[in-house]
Amino acid sequence: MRRIETAVNPHSSEFKIRYEHNKKLVEQFRNKQDRARYERPERDLQRLERQGKMLPRERIDKLLDPGTPFLELSSLAANCEYEGEAPGASIITGIGIVSGREVLIHADDSSIKGGAWYPLSVKKIVRCLDIALENHLPVIHLCDSAGGFLPLQAEIFPDRYMAGRIFRNQCQLSKLGIKQVSLVFGQCTAGGAYIPALSDYNVIVQGTGAVFLGGPPLVKAATGEEVGFEELGGAEMHTSVSGTCDYRAETEDEAIAIGREIVAQWSQPEKWPCQREEPEEPHYDADEIYGILPNDPKKSFDVREIIARIVDGSRFHEYQPNYGTTVVCGYANIWGWKVGIIGNNGVLFNDSSLKCAHFIELCNQNKTPIVFLQNITGFMVGKEYERQGITKSGAKMIMAQACSSVPKFTVMLNSSFGAGNYGMCGRAFDARFIFTWPNHQIGVMGGEQAINTLVDVKLNQMKRNGEEVDEDLINDLRKNTQDGYLEKLSADYSTSQIWDDGIIDPADTRNALGMAITSSLNAPLGPEGSGVYRF
Amino acid sequence: MVLILIGVHTMGGNKPLFKKVLISNRGEIACRIIDTFKKLGITSVAIYHGSERSSRFVTLADEAYELKGETPVSAYLDVNQIVNVAKESGAEAVHPGYGFLAENSNFARKVMDSGLVFIGPDPEIIELMGDKIRSREFARQQGVPIAPSVTFNGDYELFIEQASAIGFPLLIKASAGGGGKGMSIVKGPEGLRDSVRKAMAEAERYFSDNSVYAELYIERPRHIEVQVVGDGNGGGIHLFERECSIQRRFQKLVEEAPAAYLDRAVRKDICNAAVKLTKAANYSNAGTVEFILTQDGKFYFLEMNTRLQVEHPVTEMVTGIDLVELQLEVAAGYPLKFRQEDITVSGHAIECRICAEVPEQDFIPATGKILQLSYPSGNHIRFENGLDEGQKVTLNFDSMLAKLVVHGLGRSQAVDRMKEALGQTVLLGVDTNLNYLNKVCSHHAFLDEPLHTDFIEEHKSDLSKDNTSEIEIADVILASALEFREFKTLTFEVPEPYATIGDWRN
Amino acid sequence: MKFEFKVDDRSHNLAIKKLKPVLTVSLDGEAHSLEEVGKKGLLRSIQVDGRLVSYSSAKVGNKVYLHLHGRTWGVEFIDPRDSAREDVEGGDDIRAPMPGVVVGVSKKPGEAVKLGEIILTIESMKMETNLVAPRDGTVGEIAKAVGETFEKDQVLASLEEVENA
Repeated sequence: MRRIETAVNPHSSEFKIRYEHNKKLVEQFRNKQDRARYERPERDLQRLERQGKMLPRERIDKLLDPGTPFLELSSLAANCEYEGEAPGASIITGIGIVSGREVLIHADDSSIKGGAWYPLSVKKIVRCLDIALENHLPVIHLCDSAGGFLPLQAEIFPDRYMAGRIFRNQCQLSKLGIKQVSLVFGQCTAGGAYIPALSDYNVIVQGTGAVFLGGPPLVKAATGEEVGFEELGGAEMHTSVSGTCDYRAETEDEAIAIGREIVAQWSQPEKWPCQREEPEEPHYDADEIYGILPNDPKKSFDVREIIARIVDGSRFHEYQPNYGTTVVCGYANIWGWKVGIIGNNGVLFNDSSLKCAHFIELCNQNKTPIVFLQNITGFMVGKEYERQGITKSGAKMIMAQACSSVPKFTVMLNSSFGAGNYGMCGRAFDARFIFTWPNHQIGVMGGEQAINTLVDVKLNQMKRNGEEVDEDLINDLRKNTQDGYLEKLSADYSTSQIWDDGIIDPADTRNALGMAITSSLNAPLGPEGSGVYRF
Repeated sequence: MVLILIGVHTMGGNKPLFKKVLISNRGEIACRIIDTFKKLGITSVAIYHGSERSSRFVTLADEAYELKGETPVSAYLDVNQIVNVAKESGAEAVHPGYGFLAENSNFARKVMDSGLVFIGPDPEIIELMGDKIRSREFARQQGVPIAPSVTFNGDYELFIEQASAIGFPLLIKASAGGGGKGMSIVKGPEGLRDSVRKAMAEAERYFSDNSVYAELYIERPRHIEVQVVGDGNGGGIHLFERECSIQRRFQKLVEEAPAAYLDRAVRKDICNAAVKLTKAANYSNAGTVEFILTQDGKFYFLEMNTRLQVEHPVTEMVTGIDLVELQLEVAAGYPLKFRQEDITVSGHAIECRICAEVPEQDFIPATGKILQLSYPSGNHIRFENGLDEGQKVTLNFDSMLAKLVVHGLGRSQAVDRMKEALGQTVLLGVDTNLNYLNKVCSHHAFLDEPLHTDFIEEHKSDLSKDNTSEIEIADVILASALEFREFKTLTFEVPEPYATIGDWRN
Repeated sequence: MKFEFKVDDRSHNLAIKKLKPVLTVSLDGEAHSLEEVGKKGLLRSIQVDGRLVSYSSAKVGNKVYLHLHGRTWGVEFIDPRDSAREDVEGGDDIRAPMPGVVVGVSKKPGEAVKLGEIILTIESMKMETNLVAPRDGTVGEIAKAVGETFEKDQVLASLEEVENA
């Protein structure tokens, strides 16, 4: 494969403007991430110290194999919710290596509000276990949560994909032979008790770990029985009397050592044989991505330049290079793995949609995972295109993509609007992992278009009601609508809602994809075949 | 310089000394004795306890018989069983080696009563010399100087009075004892009663004989012993002296021949005294007369060992004489083929006892398995051992694993060669004192000063100093780490691409 | 995640720092690079900080015996689980300081003991040693009887566990 020839000039003024803009966005993202990860109220830190507990991130560091990477997922979950009281949704999830094996880690963040679960905390855990199910990754739970955040129980408890889904997923994981081990560092109360109970193995720390369906206050209120925390559900009792817990550790360090030893007993996973070659560093510097991405939603860039800064050796085998040019399709290697890449270079037309559909079929035929690089504002609209059957072409693209048996990975580069999101494997289409860049926007339609529409609708409504409409009012209305709308388009918002698996620095994309692809190979390929194409 | 062990296959014709001889011993000494037997065309018979059936000395021997015994040691002490086996095997003689039954007069008697030759002196002499009190009295009568002492007869008051008269410090010893057991030093009269009581209890436990005596304890004494051979008819010669002053817990660790920094006249006197004793006792076969030498050149008779000693190889190396062969000749009834003037000393030899022990922890015995064994060889080196790779090192027997004996043109070369040989000896699988021995041989006091039996204690802190450099520790630990799965899986077996991505966080 | 090794009773901590391109470790805080070279017969070779080091080694259990630099070494590997437990107070096991034989048993299971009271007497290398209670408590188990032999570090007796307050 030949190297992509770059047309980027890092000395041009355009490059420099874009670079500054995007570099700043990334810095803002990193600051936000640092605060979400590390800024904690003094009171919470002191409580942990009093209890003799380690910080959750310390536990993870000690658990992971030295010198190995850790891909944290959804680090900014809940950053727009709960008035910032649940940074990262009080949960830390990620993929790492423990005792030489890939694992998913789910850790309750007890360094904030005792690790209480908010609605998005539950969503994050469910998402983590969905990833485990889809990729056949074993899970290590580091349990240390005060339980559900009661005031928001209606969003935590009753529905299909709420808290119950955690336990349902645990059972399905176990059924599939995907192992889970829980390290109980704190209280596992009520539903939370089922995390260690439904894990194949669990370890409990003497003195701070406890598992009970109801804690001492609840027990007293329910039956009048007075019983202490240790006696009710402590390590000694559960490891020797009830058998609910398997291993007793005197300290957190010991619990981690036991956990590592448990994982070391597991047989090595079998991966399906994705084609692999010797990895090669990209020829171009990933840092240049900041100067390639636009600083204005109206501006564009050549997605090939992005591809060149992610793939091995910047080598790319482009498919149908002269046809359907608003989408770029081709093969490349990422950390040695052969993948198919589909990236947008404009609006989707008939030909580009068909090209995508065909290329997706080729990837399935070749058993090649697909990486979607989204920068799509939508399909082309208009009479000519409808007559040419653009809706049908889009349908074919969506059908091929949705029915793929190979793993799919999506990176939201810049924009994802409307049905373009669907065709390019948005959240609903079971991408194994979705990562978002800080500059990205996602919505049913682009900002300006939507705001105009919304303002018009509102104005018409007001006129029908006979309300006074003047210029100031229109400006205010426009401004409020804009702010509200734009907020919900932003990467921050979508990552807060866990519509993706985390915002990442564009320069980290290669490593993130490398880890994502490698861990996805633990699950066998899906069933072959697709539905009916509307030809 | 090439050493040749002088040996004649036969004496006066082609008649072999013995056709078949049984060795009532095991391990290293059994192997060494078998070596000489092979050289002389004598069929060797070994006896062994079941637990040692695949030991080297068993496989080396021409014939071997298993002994029954509840413990391995008890088998080698079973007089009747061994005598029966000796008869059954058709052996003409029994060589007892050293330790076990070598100085058991009852055994010697039974062997002789069965019509076999006991390769050693007469039972009466064994008994005489085995009794420390009697032997000292005998020596005194022969005009051999003895250290002032007093025996304990049950009367504490009398004993304390007599002992105090000798002066302090005193050494309390078991009469029937040896190898450091039942010995202790008393600094003053207040400690006497307790020490005696303790020594008696230990003596009873180890030797079934609680007789103890007190002897003047000499400060910084030198342990000088003389190898002698008697012809049983009042004739005898010496093969010069050995120095065995490097001891720990009253057990020898490093021996050498000749003694260093020893006045010529004193040497002459000691050797002559030893021969005098040998002749007076009508001693037959090989033996060793042990003396204590004071700082000012006075010497006192300690005891006589009526057998071959552990450290005999150093004498063999400097005199060029095979002592086991000499023993066989005397036992076969031949007159001594050497006259005193035939015996000369050439060069210097040192022996280090390699033991399974931990010097840093007061020399406590160690157990394990010989996983790897390799040692230097050469004309100037003898590595006396009965070891096999894979054999277990247990507490069943003495902690000595092997003897490294080295010869040099002079003491300085002998020491250099010993240090080199120690460094080249690979014995892995059990803690040993190899490093410690090297430290001893490298100590300036060992090289430059006369030795004494407090050497180990006096230089304790020097010898326990850890002279490991940081580079050595790094090499040692990194090499060790590679032996462990836990380390290997986390270093050289980390799956890709994770190993190359390395320590990355998003 | 540190590895603990003991040489001559002194503990050393080994941590893995970097895997590629060359393995870098940190021993007691000092960084070193380590590469495997090969094996010729019984002699193994590695490169430490670029320096070739050849040695013989034999491993038994968690102990490695090495011969290098003209000396013999004994290196003990402490299992990470034991390492993690090291600062747990008041071990309730009474272990043999050296191999030997039991010559006296002074307490029975279930009997109360005070800190320092003799529980068993052992003998090795002609020396008697008294093994005492590490704390006040109740004797749990006496693992060996008079006359029975044992190896170094074997548990000879233990105290009953104390319930955490």
